[in-house]
Amino acid sequence: MSATLHIDWTRCAGHGLCAELAPERITRDEWGYPVIHRTTVHPADTVAIRRVVALCPALALRLTPAAA
Amino acid sequence: MTNALHAPRSVAETADINTSYIDTWTIGTPRLLAGLDRYPTLDARTHLAVHGPLPGADLAKLLGLLETAGLSGRGGAGFPLATKILALQGNRPTVVVNGSESEPASHKDRTLLQRTPHLVLDGALAVATAVGARLVKVAVHDPAVAAAVRSASRSRPDGKRVRVQITSGSFVAGEARALVRALNGGPALPPGRHDHLTSRGVLVANAETFAQTAVLLRLGSWGYGQTGTRREPGTTLLTIGGAAGRPGVVEVPLGTPLGIVLRSARAENARYLITGGYHGTWLAPLPEAPVSRAGLAGVGATLGAGVLLTIDARTCALGELTRVSRWLAAQSAGQCGPCRFGLPALAADVAALAVGNPAAAANAKRHATLVQGRGACSHPDGASRFVRTGLAVLADELGQHRSGGCGRPVVGQLPIGAI
Repeated sequence: MSATLHIDWTRCAGHGLCAELAPERITRDEWGYPVIHRTTVHPADTVAIRRVVALCPALALRLTPAAA
Repeated sequence: MTNALHAPRSVAETADINTSYIDTWTIGTPRLLAGLDRYPTLDARTHLAVHGPLPGADLAKLLGLLETAGLSGRGGAGFPLATKILALQGNRPTVVVNGSESEPASHKDRTLLQRTPHLVLDGALAVATAVGARLVKVAVHDPAVAAAVRSASRSRPDGKRVRVQITSGSFVAGEARALVRALNGGPALPPGRHDHLTSRGVLVANAETFAQTAVLLRLGSWGYGQTGTRREPGTTLLTIGGAAGRPGVVEVPLGTPLGIVLRSARAENARYLITGGYHGTWLAPLPEAPVSRAGLAGVGATLGAGVLLTIDARTCALGELTRVSRWLAAQSAGQCGPCRFGLPALAADVAALAVGNPAAAANAKRHATLVQGRGACSHPDGASRFVRTGLAVLADELGQHRSGGCGRPVVGQLPIGAI
C-alpha cells in the first residue's frame, strides 16, 4: 500500500537533511525549505523514506497510510 | 447553472436609522437584515415581532432542510453545513460561532452579531440542540460585538447555553482551527497537523451561516428557495467597500447580476473589482456576472466571505496591490518558512513592478507558485491568489508603469489594518 509524505510546516526549520537524503524527491527552495515533488510514496520506497522521516531534526516529516 | 431570479429585482433602498453602524441595505426582500431598516438593533421582543417564533427541529429535520437548501458556509470556504454536521464525532459536541471576521474589509458578521444577534443565536442554538451540544461558544474580536451578544443571550431563556469569548484579531487567527486553539487557551495560530475539527467533536461555522440556518428553519426549504438560483437558493450578505460611494453591508439574492449590486452601492465607475477579500481575486468589472459561488467561479473569481471591493480612476491600482501585498506578508504568523519568507519576497516583486522593473515579473510568478500549498493554513495560498490575479488583471497598468508610471497617486482605497 502506498503512503503519503507530509510536512508539518510549523515544525520545519529548513535544515535540509531530507533533501540531502532523498534528492530525487525533495529539493530546497531559495530559503532552504523543502519542496516535495512527489508526496505519494510507493511500497518499494517506503523503507528509504521512513528513514528520511526519522532523521528529520525538527520531527517535521510524517508518513501516513495513503488515502489521496 | 441557472441565473434566474425568482425575486423581484427592484432595489429597495432604505436609509440606515443609526449612523453609528455601518450602512445596510437589501436588494429584494430582506431576510437576515429584516427589521434593520426600522430598528438600529433587534432586541428579543422586536426580533420575535419581525421574524416570528423559531420552529424546533430534530437532527433529521435539520439535515433535511440544510441538504435541500444546499446551505453552504459563509465564512469563505463554502463547505456545506449538512456535511460538516454529519462528520461530527463524539457524543458531547460543541458548537462554535465564528464571528472573529478577521478579514479587514468584512463587516457582515459584526453587523449581524451586533444588530440582530438573536437570529445568529437562534440558528446556533437550534444546531446545538439538534446535534446534542450543550454549549454554543461565540468567538468575536470586537468588544462592542461581544457586549451585544452577551446582552442578547441574557435576555433569552436558552441564553445560559451561550458563552461569548473575545479572541485575537489577527488575519490568520480567524481560521477555524486557530480559533478553536485560542478558545481552548492555546495560541491563536493554525496548528501544523491537518486533523479535522469535526473529528474532535467541534462544529465551527461562520455567524452568517447560523443566521441563514435560522431563516431556513422559519421559511422551510421551499420558502427559502423562493429567491436565489436553483443551485444556490436564498440570499447572501456582501460587504462592499473600496471606492464605492455607498460602502456597507448588503443582502442580495444569490445570482443577482454584479452590475445591479455595484449600482446600489454607487460603484458603477469601478475600474477593477476584488471579490472574496484579500484571499480573493481581482477582476475587471463584469456587470452581467451573477453574484453566487458558481457565477463568480465562471469568471475565474471567488465569492469567499462576500467582500466586494472596488477601485476607481482616482488611485493607482498597482500601488493598491503593492500595499495589500505588503500587508498580507505582514499577516503571516511566521510559523511556516515558505510563508514567512515567500510572502515578503512576493510583496517586494510587486513593489519592483510598480516602480517599472520588468525583471520582477518572472520572480513574482515564481514566488507566487512557490508558496502555494506550503503552510499550516491557507494564508500563503490566498495571498498568492490575490497577487496572481491582481497582476493578471493589471496587465495594462504594468505596461504603463514600465514606461514611467500611470500618473495616479496611491490614495489607499483598499482598507488594511495597521501593519
